[in-house]
Amino acid sequence: MQWLSSHLDLVVPLVVSALGVWWLMPQRRSRPKVVGLLLSLCGFVILEGSLSGVPGPLTESVLFTIFAIGAVLCGVLMVTCRNPVYGALWFALATLSTCGLFLLQSAPFLAAATIVVYAGAIIVTFLFVIMLAQQHGATAYDQQASQPFAATVGAFVLLGALLATLQNWSVQPSAADEPAVATVQATASSSNPLSQPAPGQTLGTMNGLGRSLFGDYLFAVELAGSLLLIACIGAIAIAPRRAQGTL
Amino acid sequence: MTPDIARYLAVGAALFVIGALGFLTRRNLILMVLSAELMLHGVSLSLVTFSRMHQSMEGQSFTVFLLTVAACEAGLALSLILALYQKRKSLDVNLWSTLHEADVPPPVDDISIESTPVQQFPKLTPAGNVPVPGTAGSGVNTNRT
Repeated sequence: MQWLSSHLDLVVPLVVSALGVWWLMPQRRSRPKVVGLLLSLCGFVILEGSLSGVPGPLTESVLFTIFAIGAVLCGVLMVTCRNPVYGALWFALATLSTCGLFLLQSAPFLAAATIVVYAGAIIVTFLFVIMLAQQHGATAYDQQASQPFAATVGAFVLLGALLATLQNWSVQPSAADEPAVATVQATASSSNPLSQPAPGQTLGTMNGLGRSLFGDYLFAVELAGSLLLIACIGAIAIAPRRAQGTL
Repeated sequence: MTPDIARYLAVGAALFVIGALGFLTRRNLILMVLSAELMLHGVSLSLVTFSRMHQSMEGQSFTVFLLTVAACEAGLALSLILALYQKRKSLDVNLWSTLHEADVPPPVDDISIESTPVQQFPKLTPAGNVPVPGTAGSGVNTNRT
């Protein structure tokens, strides 16, 4: 109780957004969507405001706000929408917003790769399967969430725990932690020297990513290639055999 | 750690939690897999943030591997979904609850919700000449009697 009253700035927006998400969940009687959308939007905006301490450059914080709210809201809409096709499209929008956040964090290659892989390949395949399997429009199981209240409460308790940990991190940069972090950095740089940006280079260039991938993680790259091949063979083996032209 | 980094980590945590919420509540197999992909988005956003926090490329390298694994996962999940769909002709996950615990009742379906009926479009009456195989292109049409 004492913890709750001392962390009201975290608890109140979490409760508000949880209420909004719960309101949006597909139910037997459809509720007006605007209420849930406004509630969750309010909750997430207050949450974002309570977390940002020192304001950075104006453009960056404006872009961050747009992308962050966009990603979270598109995620909520994807989870709660009644039509799986719209769900896939909301997921594509959430992917685009996440790629915007990647760009803000100087990871341009990852942003491009994520857009190509997700929006270009995965979403299209999902839409394919939706259209193959659900040709009859809305189905009963999409109109009804299973255990919406318990799942919402559990998920937002987890989110509250994560955010409280983050708040503790940002509040206490105590002097006792400094040596530990320094030793961790030292061991990291000695074990993976190619992953550090070269002197005179900024973080996040494609050159640096390539040096790290094909220098420190060469075996892992080979393993990832083998994994792709194995997954390909497995997908072909699992996919059902069928007569020509039928599903 | 700067507060800036905490904001990005908060967005990653929120994406992860929303994906988990979707995985728990949705009953459509495809939307469950999509929610798992949303969770992976949250994780990759956190990894990129850690990469900037430590000024090292390791987090971004991990994200590349995460993309690879996500692609594998999507392919395998879709082939599994197709195989399951062929057995039951439905994407409802509750149809596959035969493995539930002995003391937990099986999920009940709310019968009051019906699927929308399949729209029946009018069929055109056949008109014109019946194509006869072998005579295509010969220019000779046989009229239907």
